[in-house]
Amino acid sequence: MACTHDHSCEDHDCSSNWSLYKHIDLAKVTALNEANPGSVKSVFKAWEERLNSSRERLESNEGDPELLVYIPFTSDVKIKSISVVGGADGTSPSKLRVFINREGIDFSDAQSMQPVQEWELVENLQGVLEYQTRYSKFQSVANITLHFPESFGGDTTQIHYIGFKGEATQLKRDVVATIVYEITPNPSDHKTRAETGGGLSHVE
Amino acid sequence: MVLEATMICIDNSEWMRNGDYGPSRFQAQADAVNLICGAKTQSNPENTVGVLTMAGKGVRVLVTPTSDLGKILACMHGLEIGGEMNLAAGIQVAQLALKHRQNKKQQQRIIVFAGSPVKHEKKTLEMIGKKLKKNSVTLDIVNFGEDDEGKTEKLEALLAAVNNNDTSHIVHIPAGPNALSDVLLSTPIFTGDGEGGSGFAASAAAAAAGGISGFEFGVDPNLDPELALALRVSMEEERARQEAAAKKAAEESSKQEKGGEEQDATMTECASEGASEADNKKNEFLQALAMSMDEPASSHDLQDTEMSDAATEDPELALALQLSVQDSAKDSSSQSDMSKLLADQSFVSSILASLPGVDPNDPSVKEVLASMQSQSEPQQKQDEDKAPKEEDKK
Repeated sequence: MACTHDHSCEDHDCSSNWSLYKHIDLAKVTALNEANPGSVKSVFKAWEERLNSSRERLESNEGDPELLVYIPFTSDVKIKSISVVGGADGTSPSKLRVFINREGIDFSDAQSMQPVQEWELVENLQGVLEYQTRYSKFQSVANITLHFPESFGGDTTQIHYIGFKGEATQLKRDVVATIVYEITPNPSDHKTRAETGGGLSHVE
Repeated sequence: MVLEATMICIDNSEWMRNGDYGPSRFQAQADAVNLICGAKTQSNPENTVGVLTMAGKGVRVLVTPTSDLGKILACMHGLEIGGEMNLAAGIQVAQLALKHRQNKKQQQRIIVFAGSPVKHEKKTLEMIGKKLKKNSVTLDIVNFGEDDEGKTEKLEALLAAVNNNDTSHIVHIPAGPNALSDVLLSTPIFTGDGEGGSGFAASAAAAAAGGISGFEFGVDPNLDPELALALRVSMEEERARQEAAAKKAAEESSKQEKGGEEQDATMTECASEGASEADNKKNEFLQALAMSMDEPASSHDLQDTEMSDAATEDPELALALQLSVQDSAKDSSSQSDMSKLLADQSFVSSILASLPGVDPNDPSVKEVLASMQSQSEPQQKQDEDKAPKEEDKK
């Protein structure tokens, strides 16, 4: 099993590097334009099983090779590189664009927005290629959205495996849930201590 | 109970003046819209519904998706009829409105009322349908009113393009005596994909039919939705419990022939069961439901558990209860024992002799004895009577 490092693989186990799949919140993973709802969850597995396509794989709808995959993590992660194993006969994705920490992206958003990074992919049927990220931009990733706009000429796009290499931190990124904006301040909302009669200062 | 954001597209074109549905097509549509809004908000309080019109001067959004029912009802007032329906634009604007919903976790759904002829090409509609499917938006189509050539075909093609796993539906409603909203109540648009708003639909249907309350559990979901929900849930739990109890009862009935020992075992089992369950209102409620359901096999167990429930605090009382239950169960056998004892005359007379102030020779005592032994053979009694008499006399 060849790796992209320049030493032989028997010394250590590659699979431990690709262990970020354990930090994926699988229940909340969604995909747009998938032929079977829910099949996207089958592409996140251990490194050893990346070529094992006996289970379901992610396939896009007939005649439309675009795919959008939304992946939330259970804690913030730093992503060093990404690996994608596609299908044969031109059904591998040819391009990848990623967006970080944005929820609810759909196809029109994905096509118009500037991605954090994009790659030209090659057919990677053996799962030996990885695409490195600009690490400084992927330092605290709470969720990532992968957009595969086209395939290598096939009618559909098939994905057998998606892997992430990196580290998981124990932090969790907190989003501000509700913000109340004031157009004009209401004095009754901003009582100072002096007005309510507290504090030590008196005027005598 | 799916979390959903819905956009309803209303047809307010000239064709809606027709009176073949209800007071007018437009009025029937408005009633249907009100019902849908109510059903959606009830099945999940976080659902939002929005409304837009497709005809008139152009596609106009009356209210963006909101959970405020009053706002939706208010905007339906004062709508003007006129113009031609623009189905494609209506659906696209609805999709845009859903895209900007506040809660991104909601599923997106569009409900279209198509009452006037569709002027778009089939291909255009299919492309729109594909785009909806790609963005996982589900579509419900209510086909009523005008039925010119190709309209049904086009709408069916649109549905086929959108449909993903039967989540989208189309309903054809011909003009007839029933109101539009009543016919809609029985369709999957109302009942949802699962059990969804079935409670609401069932009660509304019952009310609409003008009959007596056919509500489940005799509680109107409209008046007290939480109670109706609690009843429904506890009913399902009770069913599951009864299946388990029925299994156990089947095992017990095979054991019962073996005798009282086994009965003791099951009764102690019940007592321990009762002890382990917390005594709370829900338990009693479940038992009441079960008993009203008339399941003889399980009710026996339940009665035991009921008594054991009361006696959990007092072990002596529990023991006494057990014994009394055993006695009542063993009644037939014990009764026969008693009568055998009574039939033994010598035993009876020895008892009577030991009692102070009772003379076995007293005729009234003898009468009582005779009546007690009504089960034994009369000849045997008389012989036995005579024998002790002679003995006494001696």
